[in-house]
Amino acid sequence: MGIGNAIDRVEGHLKVTGKAKYSSEFQIENKVYAQAITSTIAKGEIISVDTSEAEKQKGVLAIITYKNAEKLKTSDKKLPVLDVDSIQPVLQSPNIHYYGEYIGLVVAETFEQAQYAARLVKFEYKKETPKINFKNHREDAYRPKEESDYSRGNVEEGLAEADVKLEMTYNTPIEHHHPMELHAIIATWENGKVKAYASQQMIDNAAKTIAKTFQISKENVRVISPYVGGGFGSKLAAKQHVILAIMAAKKVGRPIQLTVTRNQMFTNTNLRQYNEQKMRIGAKKNGTLTALSHETLSHTSTYEEFQESCGAVTKMLYKVPNNLVTHRLVPTNLQTPFAMRAPGEATGSFALECAMDELAWKLKMDPIDFRIKNDTQTDLSNDKPFSSRLLKECLRIGAEKFGWKERNMEPATKTNGNWLIGYGVSGASRGAPYQKTSSKVILERKNQTVYATIQMDATDIGTGSYTIIAQTASEYLKIPVEQINVELGDSLFPVTPGSGGSWGAASFANGARMACLNAIKELKKKLNVGENEEISVEKLLTDNKLDKFEAEGTAEPSEEFEKHSVYSFGANFCEVWVDKDTGMYRIKKMVNVGACGKILNPKTSFGQIIGGLTMGAGMALAEQTRVEPNFGNFITRSFADYHVPVNLDMANIEVIFLPEEDKIANAMGVKGVGELGITSVAASIANAIFNATGKRMRDLPITPEKLIMAKKEIGVA
Amino acid sequence: MRPFIYIHPQNEKEAFTAALATENSKYLGGGTNLLDLMKEDVERPSQLVEIADLNFNKISEHESGGYTIGAMLSNADTANHQKIRENYPLLSMAMLSAATAQIRNMATNGGNLLQRTRCPYFFETSMPCNKREPGTGCGALNGMNSQHAIFGWNEKCIAVNPSDMCVALAALDAKVLVQKPEGDSRTIDFKNFHRLPEDKPELDNSLEPNELITAIELPEPMFSDHYDYLKIRERSSYAFALISVAAGLQIKDGSIAKAGLAMGGVAHKPWKLTASEEFLTGKKPTSENFKKAAELAMKDARPLSDNSYKIEIGIKAIERALTQAFERKA
Ligand SMILES: Cc1cc2nc3c(=O)[nH]c(=O)nc-3n(C[C@H](O)[C@H](O)[C@H](O)COP(=O)(O)OP(=O)(O)OC[C@H]3O[C@@H](n4cnc5c(N)ncnc54)[C@H](O)[C@@H]3O)c2cc1C
Ligand code: SF4
Repeated sequence: MGIGNAIDRVEGHLKVTGKAKYSSEFQIENKVYAQAITSTIAKGEIISVDTSEAEKQKGVLAIITYKNAEKLKTSDKKLPVLDVDSIQPVLQSPNIHYYGEYIGLVVAETFEQAQYAARLVKFEYKKETPKINFKNHREDAYRPKEESDYSRGNVEEGLAEADVKLEMTYNTPIEHHHPMELHAIIATWENGKVKAYASQQMIDNAAKTIAKTFQISKENVRVISPYVGGGFGSKLAAKQHVILAIMAAKKVGRPIQLTVTRNQMFTNTNLRQYNEQKMRIGAKKNGTLTALSHETLSHTSTYEEFQESCGAVTKMLYKVPNNLVTHRLVPTNLQTPFAMRAPGEATGSFALECAMDELAWKLKMDPIDFRIKNDTQTDLSNDKPFSSRLLKECLRIGAEKFGWKERNMEPATKTNGNWLIGYGVSGASRGAPYQKTSSKVILERKNQTVYATIQMDATDIGTGSYTIIAQTASEYLKIPVEQINVELGDSLFPVTPGSGGSWGAASFANGARMACLNAIKELKKKLNVGENEEISVEKLLTDNKLDKFEAEGTAEPSEEFEKHSVYSFGANFCEVWVDKDTGMYRIKKMVNVGACGKILNPKTSFGQIIGGLTMGAGMALAEQTRVEPNFGNFITRSFADYHVPVNLDMANIEVIFLPEEDKIANAMGVKGVGELGITSVAASIANAIFNATGKRMRDLPITPEKLIMAKKEIGVA
Repeated sequence: MRPFIYIHPQNEKEAFTAALATENSKYLGGGTNLLDLMKEDVERPSQLVEIADLNFNKISEHESGGYTIGAMLSNADTANHQKIRENYPLLSMAMLSAATAQIRNMATNGGNLLQRTRCPYFFETSMPCNKREPGTGCGALNGMNSQHAIFGWNEKCIAVNPSDMCVALAALDAKVLVQKPEGDSRTIDFKNFHRLPEDKPELDNSLEPNELITAIELPEPMFSDHYDYLKIRERSSYAFALISVAAGLQIKDGSIAKAGLAMGGVAHKPWKLTASEEFLTGKKPTSENFKKAAELAMKDARPLSDNSYKIEIGIKAIERALTQAFERKA
């Protein structure tokens, strides 16, 4: 019962028995199917559309292209900022901005009919030369907003003061979220009202996007998303397919099911952009940092703007007086990038934590000591104290558990047969935001037992929301988890910020807590019982002669919260074995230590961290979307060529959560774990590879071909 | 998918009659390659003839001491068969390195011989590709070709054959048994089964239209003591080879009596290293000789813009495979 226990997922049995319904699994009467069509050029204009062949096919109900699509809200800005509730106009013009852009939709009685007919719609284009690789268009780079730049002190002076310094560029490739569950929607349009079963991370934002795009009131939009098979950021916002399906439902007058294909998930549900990160770093002989600079160049699309803040982590993680962070974007003919798990941190910490390792080696200092030497309890980017920060402890305890003392400082000195063995470490931080969250509790008394239902528009994207909300309600109502029913993912329920940004657990739990506390408070008040009196909910209901009682509650960040910098911290250790001849490597062992506040459920939190570590290992090992340089299409088009790690690649993973009480973060002291896991894993692997081979791998992913072709670092024996 | 006719014959005769009656008919094995390509609109057969129930799913020993492996047997059942594991562990090892358990359960031996290249341009119908659409050009030649050939290519096509099984079969000097719809059968030496692109990159092999593969024939048991299949790839399983090496050695009185050596991921066909095999025959199994054999194998390699790493890793991989083969039971 209650929080802190490693209970099984409360919805687990529904999932393993297939009873948990995902968006495209709802049996809606009279439903028909849609298939989207995408462009096969990267830039230009559609000059003709021929639907005659497709229209003749059996079962075809409608074909929508820019020629007959209804007019939607569009932006008058050249590069409107893409956010979680932005409008998502689609099929509004003949212009093509990238390869794979939606250019049409076919609706038919069956899925197969829609698919086949979609292939028969013919488009003719007027092609233009696309800008594919941002590195060839550096002159177009621009600063997206004022806050894209930050500085304190003077980096040039700091570097001049340094005894040891370096300047290096780190690259991270285009990546894709690829949650297991495909993006999907079943949409109806009836009497001006929209109902959408859609796989979304944030219900309220999805409703906003739909309302704004169709210019209808949000009250007329209902979004339902009880189970989501992963999102990793790709489902934060409603994407164009949501609009397409609703548009078709309106036109055809029947419910429309539209599933984004795995191939279309490369081109139509956003991506993590390529980042070129230039690091400059300097320190005194004794390891005191004097300067740290982090300049990021990446791309956005030619029709929207998104900037990932790779440099954010460099502003706050270490104590360095002179600091510079910049971000520049080049518009290219690729789809707009968007947040992917730990946006900024996952990519930025690769550059920062590799640079720290490089400098430590130059200083002949242990990389853990180097980090600890530059630890700080104040966030120098805003001069606020950290609400709690156990980075040092994460590093020390991790080192102990991992057996760090077995590591040789000199690279390429530890071997076993054909294997070169290396150890690597990295530090991690991830903001622990927390947002206004409302919730409702419905108490029902049957015989002598009280049952509670918690409702909120929160989502469970595989993270364990159902479970931790039930545990929270159990804790504050003091009734067993088995008597609690949690209902999520419906815009009819009280509003939450949804799942994203590692704020889910803290927000949902605190929101549910407030509803429960309010229920008890109100019930006591009715009886004129003192607030501090110990009295069970069952008795409260009985004494009030109530069989049913409802209450709502809202939690939001406190003033104290605003006065502090609130982060989760962690450290990752890994042991890598590299085959000296083939460049193939195995991650033999990982130890991850996190200090992330109160752990509501060690089991689901552990799942979050190992998932993050595996995704981070994927970043290091294999994940990349390759762009064809002449045509601008992605040549990675399925899981056969977009490689994520397999079991054999992965290590024995040990996850340790340090006990941490942080009531400034929020009343329950909960911080996020969803994104901490992925943060800086890639750096720890790259650092271990250096320790094993003497080669610095600054381009992700580190594939056998790159590793074999790389030269040893100057100075390595 | 485009509409197609589906036929499920109970015997060969029915299968052949169906195949001859419809233009552009294809046999359906496990479907792990063909169905994928149909969904991508790359393959567009008008008819599929299911061959799962035809009687070519056995492994049998013949008088000469060799074995015949049925074409419709699954990759999993072949690789895990007791006789194959004992007598041709090189083949078993290569097959088990491929794909995933699920795919190996579906994939048939006949289908594996005919699986098509993984060249990304071949898979995407909006791209130029001479193999998919003769005359449109080779998109990979001046595009992304890190996974392409270093041997035997020309500007018409630089694709590689993706099969692991076929690399072992090349090292083992297998033969392919084929039956014509009219009833005649023929035997094709493995080295002549797959072809180089030459002026017809659309043709992967020397099969005639509607010919049915019935079996793979293996010579007398070989390299059962000294063998290795080394596969270099981007992750430890479920990835095609960047390059691979099948190595088999027969050691007699401290010398190499026979060597079988082939590479995958380097050419339009499984690449038999004949010169290296000949070099090793009669020599001592020393690391120096292994190194020379490896260098000899790579002597005529012609890298493309993005794949010179294949030469670098290739030499090391051949040496390593030979060493591991020799040391396995030495
Ligand atoms: C994701 C993925 C990963 C993979 N990884 C690997 C790997 O690492 N290594 C590897 O080697 N392979 C790999 N494969 C390929 C796999 O081995 C092949 O798809 C499989 O062997 C094909 O066999 P099949 O029976 O399914 O062929 P099908 O798809 O049924 O047929 C393939 C072709 O052969 C023809 N055909 C089939 N049987 C006969 C016959 N008896 N006579 C004449 N023609 C016939 C068909 O008409 C078709 O043209 C992978 C496949 C996938 C999908
Ligand atoms: S290499 Fe061959 S398969 Fe690939 S694009 Fe060129 S012609 Fe097509």
